[in-house]
Amino acid sequence: MQQAEQTSAPATTPSRPGHGAERGSARTPQRMPDRIGTLLTLLLERPISLYAAAVLRIGYGFLYLAFLLREFPHRNEIWGPGSPWTPTLARQLFDQTGWVSILTLSDSRAYFEVCYAAALVTSALFMLGWRTRAVSVLFAVVVTSFHARAIYMTDGGDTLILLMVLYLVVTACGRRWSLDARRTRLRASAVKTDRLPLDQASGELRRHLRDARLTVITVLHNCGMLVIAAQVCFLYGSAGLYKVQGAAWGNGTALHYALNLDVFQPWPELSAMADEHDVLIAIACYLTVLLQVAFPFVLFGRLKYPVLTMLLGMHLGIALFLGLPLFSGAMIVADAAFLPDRFYRYLGQLWRLTTQRDVPRHHPPQHLGHQPLPPTRALPVPRGR
Amino acid sequence: MQASSEPPVVLKAAVHVAVILCLATALVHVLLVFLQVAPPNPLSRQYSRQVNAWVFPLFEQNWRLFAPDPESVNRQISARTMHTAPDGTVHVSGWFDLGAVDTAAVKHDPFPSHTSQNMLRRAWTSYLETHGGDDRPRSQRALMIQQYLGNIAVDRVAAHRTGAFESIQLRVITLPIAAPPAASGHSPGAAAPRPTDTRYLPWWKVARHATS
Repeated sequence: MQQAEQTSAPATTPSRPGHGAERGSARTPQRMPDRIGTLLTLLLERPISLYAAAVLRIGYGFLYLAFLLREFPHRNEIWGPGSPWTPTLARQLFDQTGWVSILTLSDSRAYFEVCYAAALVTSALFMLGWRTRAVSVLFAVVVTSFHARAIYMTDGGDTLILLMVLYLVVTACGRRWSLDARRTRLRASAVKTDRLPLDQASGELRRHLRDARLTVITVLHNCGMLVIAAQVCFLYGSAGLYKVQGAAWGNGTALHYALNLDVFQPWPELSAMADEHDVLIAIACYLTVLLQVAFPFVLFGRLKYPVLTMLLGMHLGIALFLGLPLFSGAMIVADAAFLPDRFYRYLGQLWRLTTQRDVPRHHPPQHLGHQPLPPTRALPVPRGR
Repeated sequence: MQASSEPPVVLKAAVHVAVILCLATALVHVLLVFLQVAPPNPLSRQYSRQVNAWVFPLFEQNWRLFAPDPESVNRQISARTMHTAPDGTVHVSGWFDLGAVDTAAVKHDPFPSHTSQNMLRRAWTSYLETHGGDDRPRSQRALMIQQYLGNIAVDRVAAHRTGAFESIQLRVITLPIAAPPAASGHSPGAAAPRPTDTRYLPWWKVARHATS
């Protein structure tokens, strides 16, 4: 994450004195304060990985929407008043654990249906990035409520989604690829000339207030993204280290057992077929442990790209073989947070090119300004200096 | 644009405080989450109160995904019901396989429901955690889980069978997954198939009467 920001910095932050020192790495000890200063400027003034934050927003919004829709036939059984984990049991547990949920405020079925519908709408709006900050808070309330209500039906995927959704509240995840970004862009091009300059004194104060607000938002975002990165590292690190302690992972048979669990066998024929290749199973076991343990350590070098690619393959395998697409999806989205912004800008360009070629009639030129071009477009925070 | 003046001191100070608060919170959060995720150690024991106060419940996490070892057993959880007719005769039903409903639902579904993959599975593992080897609930939580497990059984039986009943009993057959042929060839000790284990739970009065 940080690396991505540094490499793209020269294009967007022209000639800042401390910058050369940072890139040229500390050749002399005197440069150290300079480097810390640069890092601090980075932290205070430049929101890191805005595209990755947008990908997290879109990814988790989409996953939760898909989850809610998938469980539509079972909604009452999982979260509703008709669940075997009755509202009374849930409230009793909340008293012991401190969880809260809007779903236990009433035992009426109608109230539950309203909550469920509201959850669908909130997930969709969050995914689209409409009034993102406010909606992200609502979405966090929704996910927490549904998670807490059915705490004994959750798995690792649900936990990860909850954590990420909580962290996303403090990030500026609506700055890219969102309805908010679209509105800002349209307004900027429409009202540029209309805005009258304010009188001197109040204009100054307003500008200072705006700057202060921007700084705080930027720091919050950066801290949020760093916490997300640390969280994913903890996840992989501990998942890997716990596996190291297991005999089955050590002798390469763990996946044999995983493939033979009844409820994680959507395609029994496929599982049986994979199970026959004991050498491949053993290799996959070792690779899984190695990748998970290595994850936190490869993030700062180029090795992260092959590792992320292999993890993607691993999660697609889990989704298919074990029937855990929600869990795998949550992990894939989390991994995507580590891809640099220039990668996502490139994706945006690609997308623009294909849409341009395929359906030129449906997309008038002003519509195509969706994804900002990397070299020309300035960074999101116009700072008064 | 005219030259900008310095921002007011109060504003500057407020921003500084906010920045420091953000950074400190992020650092403390990462540290406390680490202590919760890590196995118990002197540091986490010493600060367990602070760790728990901060992390629970929202940030509680456990990433033992198929670790240290994946489950090496399948469990067949069945239920039978008892009905006392008005004339006093007692009728006990045959066993109904609760898990078969899940296995059937998961089969050929690329996106299985949490009700099939997690509901009965986690209810039973929670029962094992809270009750241990015998069936005497020792805590409030154990009672709650027992009620949950009973409700799941009652709901499923009622959905698939007709007829009233007043009590229900669960039977859990643990079927070990055979070691792969290659692995058992190397170590003859592991080759012997582990025995299947059958556990009968006591009869429970049905609290929530479900009708189909």
